[in-house]
Amino acid sequence: MSGYILGISAYYHDSSAALVRDGEVIAAAQEERFTRVKHDPRFPRNAINYCLEAAFIEAEDLRAVVFYDDTLLTLDRVLKTTLATAPRGRDNWRKAARSLLGIKVHAARRIRDYLQVPVPVLFTRHHDAHMASAFYPSPFDEAAILTLDGVGEWATTNLGHGVDGAIRILEQIDFPHSLGLLYSAFTVFCGFKVNSGEYKLMGLAPYGTPRYADLIRRELIDIREDGSFRLNMRHFGYLDTLCMTGDAFEKLFGGPALPPDGRITRREMDLAASIQQVTEEVVLACAKHLRRLTGSRNLVMAGGVALNCVANGRLLRSGLFENLWIQPAAGDAGGALGAALLAAHRHFGLPRAPRPSGQSDRQRASLLGPSFSEAEIHAFLDINQLPFTHLPDPGQRAALIADHLAAGKVVGFFNGPMEFGPRALGGRSILGDPRNPETQTVMNLKIKQRESFRPFAPAVLESACGTWFELDRASPYMLLVADVRAERRLPITKTSADTDDLLEVVRQPRSDIPAVTHMDYSARVQTVNPADNPEFHRVISAFEARTGVGVVVNTSFNVRGEPIVCSPKDAYRCFMRTDMDLLVMGSYVLCKKGQPERQAERARQERFAPD
Amino acid sequence: MRELFRYHPRIGHTFIPGLRARVEHEAGGYLVAVNGQGFRCGHEFRTAKPSGGFRVILCGDSFTAGDGVSNQRRYGDLLEQRLPGLELFNLGLPGTGTDQHLLAFEEVTRTMEYDLVVVAVQVENIRRVNSRYRETRNMDGETVVRAKPYFIRDGAGELTLCHVPVPRLPLDPAELDDATLEQVDRGGSFATLRGVVNRLGGPVKELAQRLSRYQPVPGYDQADHPHWLLLRDILTRLIRASQAPVVLFPIPLYQYVEGSSSSRACQARFAELHRPPGVTVVDPLPHLLTFPPATRRAFRFPQDVHPTPLYHRVLADCLEPALRARMGLPAAAGGSGP
Repeated sequence: MSGYILGISAYYHDSSAALVRDGEVIAAAQEERFTRVKHDPRFPRNAINYCLEAAFIEAEDLRAVVFYDDTLLTLDRVLKTTLATAPRGRDNWRKAARSLLGIKVHAARRIRDYLQVPVPVLFTRHHDAHMASAFYPSPFDEAAILTLDGVGEWATTNLGHGVDGAIRILEQIDFPHSLGLLYSAFTVFCGFKVNSGEYKLMGLAPYGTPRYADLIRRELIDIREDGSFRLNMRHFGYLDTLCMTGDAFEKLFGGPALPPDGRITRREMDLAASIQQVTEEVVLACAKHLRRLTGSRNLVMAGGVALNCVANGRLLRSGLFENLWIQPAAGDAGGALGAALLAAHRHFGLPRAPRPSGQSDRQRASLLGPSFSEAEIHAFLDINQLPFTHLPDPGQRAALIADHLAAGKVVGFFNGPMEFGPRALGGRSILGDPRNPETQTVMNLKIKQRESFRPFAPAVLESACGTWFELDRASPYMLLVADVRAERRLPITKTSADTDDLLEVVRQPRSDIPAVTHMDYSARVQTVNPADNPEFHRVISAFEARTGVGVVVNTSFNVRGEPIVCSPKDAYRCFMRTDMDLLVMGSYVLCKKGQPERQAERARQERFAPD
Repeated sequence: MRELFRYHPRIGHTFIPGLRARVEHEAGGYLVAVNGQGFRCGHEFRTAKPSGGFRVILCGDSFTAGDGVSNQRRYGDLLEQRLPGLELFNLGLPGTGTDQHLLAFEEVTRTMEYDLVVVAVQVENIRRVNSRYRETRNMDGETVVRAKPYFIRDGAGELTLCHVPVPRLPLDPAELDDATLEQVDRGGSFATLRGVVNRLGGPVKELAQRLSRYQPVPGYDQADHPHWLLLRDILTRLIRASQAPVVLFPIPLYQYVEGSSSSRACQARFAELHRPPGVTVVDPLPHLLTFPPATRRAFRFPQDVHPTPLYHRVLADCLEPALRARMGLPAAAGGSGP
């Protein structure tokens, strides 16, 4: 028997819903995109509504709903941890109990109440769902599976093996020994927020030197030959307090944590570089062991740590596995997709869906979110009387965007379905000229309204990738870091060791595409092909035709603290709130000049808490 | 998440053409499929009628458009499913009055062949045709006032269309003068009091209506009430514009169905328009009142006053005999009786 299965991830960090039909991925979206609350952990009613809308089915048509958590097993972990640390763990217990007993145990009822149908509700384990999200949408019939994150029930790390429809866990590392939590501890210590700041810490790492790496290995984590590891809990607070780190941690690294939004110093840069190095070592060691266990040539990954694209790039270059595929929504949001796929294959015994023709995997370019028709975009512009130009010819449109980019303008690009996962892949993107040394600073400060040091990613024509980067394969999900080719690099004269002003360092040209070249000449590459995203491919091709550079800056369409835009309204508001010059929504083009002042005022009134 | 409507310079608004949306709802949510012309209709509007087919144009508001239920569960679609050869064009538009239904009818049927027109007059529409603005929400969920097209009637019964093209931008209710506010359809009299009672919940609301003998639409009380005269003349214009017989289908207020308010005057007004064979009034109320009170209460949702799937089935039952007769089909074996 076939049917639709809805997966739900909720009450963690990033609620989401995903829909599969006969094992084929149909739709997926994060709740934050609809509620406009970053990392919204609440019940994903909007995302569920969207998934049913995408398939245009009634709730009665669902064969099952799958919730991505085994609440009783999580309760078991919380109880045992509390007892082991009593009486110190009281606050942790109160917080966890409120979530577990107050919300999560009622998940099945909440789902049925919302849908108003007596649908069967299944539960999966957190890491089983991560493993499923890594393996089933991948291009492989057989692969080694590695999942690493903070914690789900007991597990923090899983090594497994997937063959056709079956997934087998080979080894597991349990809480409190967690690479994800170790990285998060440093994230907080360096003044960033847990669950959103990890990416910033990774971006900060190339500015520093790993002078604390030995100390971390000696005092915080014992990495073994087989890739397993144990944390020295004496230095961490998360077992029995609401803090990630404690006094011992502070002593180890020469003083208290940097307060949120505090001025980043050499210490934070070096800490970032150090924890990044150690993280990469653990990932490599796990992968090496997994290769031995499975003999597989293919590796698939998920879990929050799999979003560490620097580690992913190093893993790829290590040659341990010939092929690597990473779930683009590797964090908790992707758990919804994994849960639905797991139920389809493990519970209902459905065979895996064939790879869609012309696609490199079963993830459908991760363009799984809502799209808006031309009529919907026009209705929005029309009712609000917003001035626009209609350019229905795709070639003309691409040429116009390319002209603006080449002239140093910044373009909001709202095109087709929204991405599932944290990266904008040309569906909801802000585009810029990678050749301009000022682009990084301008886009960070005036457009994204975020930290100046943060690097931007290049979107490169898949066919031209080797011309620009030392990468011999496609990277459609922006999850691999590769170096800019040596012949394109320029010598860096000033490093963060020479000055405390990061802006001075950032402004130096580092290659002929400086806006997407990080301090260590690395770049977080997204390759674009015409099958996955024809409109985006046309734009980059047009830019190449004008400039000879088949690369554009691609960053997510949002400002700091704001979820990536979803609807035409969100896109327009973000456009009006920032110094973007041009907004392209479908075939409609809006210039900043001439937009009504009342709309700008309105947009400026919207505030997002910094992440 | 999605906007459902677009601006229309003559009708005020229609659905966004080609839209496919799911709307969250207390009953779990419903699917909205819109045709290329901006109506929640299963067919594109084509001029020529298929041979042997029977075409019905169905006009109405949100009850007919099907707020609260998916397309295929609406009474119009149920009739199409039951009656072979029937091609029903649903022109229902939420938030509109009979004046806008007339304009939609004129707009759509200019070049279409059809056999019958059904005008579903949700009897509350009398208030809407006598208003010039309507309260709605903007993209930020704030209450705003939008202009609507409307007719004025002179002493000789001539209708003049106003507010066309319909002003596009919304008005801020806080900035409107008293005279303009008087012309805003805010859902009936005593808007503030209704708001309070509605917030208190179903049982309180029902009790309040019963005790106060609440009459939501006094415009039907006298045959020469100006509100009724305007509605009557709009219907008359539609009847005259139609190239086919017209069925008037007054959908009663739930207060009439549930017995908390008298329907006598309203029924009398519509009966005045019954002129067979050209104009037939199909009054569903007598059939609705044969159902036990608990069933009648289940004709609307616990909060939302729109028809439930059950009510749509019953409304289809009410219309089915008239359509069968027009189509030359034998009477159905049975219906969804009490």
